[in-house]
Amino acid sequence: MLYAKILRSPHAAAEVVSVDLSAAQSLPGVKAVLRLKEGRVKYEGEQIAAVAAVSEKTAEEALKLINVEYRTLPYVVTPDKAMADGAPRVHDSANVEKINEYSRGNIDQGFAEAEVTFERTYRTAIEIHQTAETHASVAKWDGDELTVWDSTQAIFNVRDGLAEALGIPETKVRVIKIYMGGGFGSKLDVNEHTIVAAKLAKETGRPVKITLSRKENSLCVGNRPSTQITIKGGAKKDGTLTALSLKNFTCGGLDRGDESSEPLIDVYSCPNVKVEEFTVFTNTGAGRATRAPGHVQGTFAFEGFMEELAAELGLDPLEFRKKNYTTSNQGGTGIVYSSKGLDKCYDIGAQKIGWTRRNRKPGEGQGKKRRGLGMASQIWWGGGVPGTLADIKIHRDGSVEAISGTQDIGCGTRTYMATVAAETLGLEPQDITIKIGDTIYPWAPISGGSLTAPSVGPAVRDAALKAADRLREMAAKKLSSPAADIVLADRKLFDKNKPENSIAFKDLVKELRREAVFHGERGPMPAGFAYNTFGAHFAEVEVDTETGRIRVLKVVGVHEVGRILNRLTAESQVVGGITQGISTALFEERVLDENTGKMVNPNLQNYKIATSMDMPEIVPLFVDLVDPRINNLGNKGLGEPPRIPPSAAVANAVYNALGVHLREIPMTPDKVLRALQGKEAGS
Amino acid sequence: MKNLQWTEPQTVEQALAWLAKANGKAVLMAGGTDLFTEIKEGVVEPELVIDLKSIPGLASIQRDESGIRIGALTSVAGLAADAMIKRDYPGLSEAAGSLATPQLRNVGTVGGNLCQRPRCWYYRDAQMVCRKKGGSQCFAAKGRNKYHAIFGGRICHIVYPSDLAPMLIALDAQVTISSPRGDRSLPLAEFYALPEKNVRRENILAPEELVREVKLPPAKKGTRSAYVKLKERETWDFALVSAAVRGTASGGGLGEAAIVLGGVAPIPWRLGKTEAAIKGKKLSAAVIKEALRADIQEARPLEENGYKLALVEAAVTRALLSLMGPA
Repeated sequence: MLYAKILRSPHAAAEVVSVDLSAAQSLPGVKAVLRLKEGRVKYEGEQIAAVAAVSEKTAEEALKLINVEYRTLPYVVTPDKAMADGAPRVHDSANVEKINEYSRGNIDQGFAEAEVTFERTYRTAIEIHQTAETHASVAKWDGDELTVWDSTQAIFNVRDGLAEALGIPETKVRVIKIYMGGGFGSKLDVNEHTIVAAKLAKETGRPVKITLSRKENSLCVGNRPSTQITIKGGAKKDGTLTALSLKNFTCGGLDRGDESSEPLIDVYSCPNVKVEEFTVFTNTGAGRATRAPGHVQGTFAFEGFMEELAAELGLDPLEFRKKNYTTSNQGGTGIVYSSKGLDKCYDIGAQKIGWTRRNRKPGEGQGKKRRGLGMASQIWWGGGVPGTLADIKIHRDGSVEAISGTQDIGCGTRTYMATVAAETLGLEPQDITIKIGDTIYPWAPISGGSLTAPSVGPAVRDAALKAADRLREMAAKKLSSPAADIVLADRKLFDKNKPENSIAFKDLVKELRREAVFHGERGPMPAGFAYNTFGAHFAEVEVDTETGRIRVLKVVGVHEVGRILNRLTAESQVVGGITQGISTALFEERVLDENTGKMVNPNLQNYKIATSMDMPEIVPLFVDLVDPRINNLGNKGLGEPPRIPPSAAVANAVYNALGVHLREIPMTPDKVLRALQGKEAGS
Repeated sequence: MKNLQWTEPQTVEQALAWLAKANGKAVLMAGGTDLFTEIKEGVVEPELVIDLKSIPGLASIQRDESGIRIGALTSVAGLAADAMIKRDYPGLSEAAGSLATPQLRNVGTVGGNLCQRPRCWYYRDAQMVCRKKGGSQCFAAKGRNKYHAIFGGRICHIVYPSDLAPMLIALDAQVTISSPRGDRSLPLAEFYALPEKNVRRENILAPEELVREVKLPPAKKGTRSAYVKLKERETWDFALVSAAVRGTASGGGLGEAAIVLGGVAPIPWRLGKTEAAIKGKKLSAAVIKEALRADIQEARPLEENGYKLALVEAAVTRALLSLMGPA
């Protein structure tokens, strides 16, 4: 096997004048060198050339021998600079572009009806996915057939992307992903470096492995776009919302930022809404979906706004939210939710956190260390993808496979596939062998967007139900009972009226002439309903007013996501979401230097992620509600929902503790101290 | 990284001989937790790594009539856990225990901690040729400087990242340096040097020298010490500001207090004026705040690090008041 490394631009913007590969090519151990870029580079980290060599070290040495002449160009790396008059253009078009607008009702009339109006601006920093396992691919050719082992959330997207990039049929590409160390949205499509590995493998006739460094991971494979969200709201004195408007300037570097208005549009009842969203281009690595794109930022802003507006109205922030509760989407003006348990999330969460302990007036507590409680609501999609396929294969020796071209990115896919198949067939989960992560298996969607459980789970269920029907017919003949009376349980099939009249699963399937395959498909969702997931998080914090340090003491995360397929993996999703949410609230930020155009913290020392020592008591809870029509399991997705509200809940708790809302994450000590000084100066 | 040679001398003399022969192209390695990241990132490109770990006798903590001797290869975890240190120099135990993570404390050494290179994000990027790397500018001066120096920066705004150094200086530690000419001892406070002296280095160690041990004077009866480290996250974080203090409680005040800050200057930063101002005074938060005024006036915060002034006050106040509490 060979090892590849990529030479990347050190400049935020430059013209590549010349590239001299000759010295690298003649270094012993180097097997191929590729030029990847002509013309203009637009961000620090853009690919220039690649090397395949007998070792990573040799490849690194070879990169140093590639002589690139750049003519540096003006650049902008921060949205403020990019929006200024006369700023250098990132692309040929303008740096600011409208990406979304929405309205309902009459916004002017809504504000005219309001007894209180209020406007605030909130900011979120750019966040890097920072998967524990950095991006990595191995590419290997057999004749004209390419096999790629990739660290990916989307084997079919990688397959199709490679086929397109290489100009070969999708049938000639196979992508395999067995286990992986984190994706969070940064591995949803084919990556440039994977295409490079495939090209180098083709040229050298040998398998090529490429592993990105932490720095490359920080610069080149995506990030969560920043936002600057201004919200204006109007309400009656009793708390009835009459108008909401939102203006967002989001920055996703070279690519579009995140539309972040969905929570404001949908969570609460409000007849008059207006939204305008703009993206700001900068000379930095392109943004990419990051666990609940747009919703993390939009919820931080909007739920912070709701907290502040509640205080302005003199209302309990939870009662204010309940006052504007709705059971249909588009803020009560659209179609009915198929199921919505947010009200129950409120009740459970408030009770578990001890909501009555909060400061009635934000900041009324005294002392150096002040405590506060805050909460935030959550909405996300998560209905799943009709057309997802899965097979159940029953072997004559009694062993069973559940097969789908999905991928387990650490969310428990294997576990619930086995659970669903086993329960349907009257077996135990350990009786089911799971086959996933390979494009030779039946199609399944990306493992992202909270799609997997409500897509793959129902497909497995469908296949298993078909298998169960067939086994019931076979058992009915054997046992001389009506098929409708045959029950599958305890690794047996028996007549429900005469349980002693039974046959072991293992004995029955010996009657199969050969292994039997049952094809399952996730069916469509009935039209006329909205399918969404809901939740509410409650946080308690303690803020040291002398040091600016925030300690999160407890987070209660309550979710309504239909049926819970496996409680342990579901709880793990919530704990993971809260962990990342706290990290976003307190620590994570890509720091760019406008003077050099470079990211100064492309490492895990200075790109700070919460450690286990920063974690509070986390209480994951669920409203056990089965959606009556979403699919054959009544379940919804849970990948993103718990990632959405914790940052907002923590920020709102800080507001409750201090009486000053920071309105900007991460809430690092410098910002906390500045806000407190501002409060003192203002009072 | 470049190819390099590796040697494991068995005695200090052998290590010094290798150093002399390498003519400035060698680096000394103890735990390696700092050095390896520098080599990996291409910030330093040594031709020779002299691994000191095989030298016997440098990893012990010994007590005699002249005080405590801490060998340069003593692990930070070992220092933090040592019962004698905990009893007589509790601030040092706290400083060692506050450092990095359990894994890094197990591998990192006292000598390595005292000789580590700065963590400035411009210095650590091989592509940014700042003054410390032979360039002509300090990128932090007008760049991103939230973690940088508020005191003593001037031409180079790094902060010295060690947790042990401020505490050892507050405890009047001496450092023993070995060279081909023999051993010499000097106050640890004089070991560190401001950028004006030599912007490429943070200390006065010559290329042919190594740090052999640290000596602490015997703990005086009633003398207490404490280390308060303010950081962004709970663990695995360098100090935003830290305060190392030593003093003897008497009548509500402190006799002969020492106050040394970490995280605020290119070297451990002693607050001499504050030490003088609190002498003989009954200590309270208000008295300490007033006493700090003269030293704080000398601060020259950059655009993004003014918040450190508030942290200095918090760290010093907490550390000093902790000395007044029950033993």
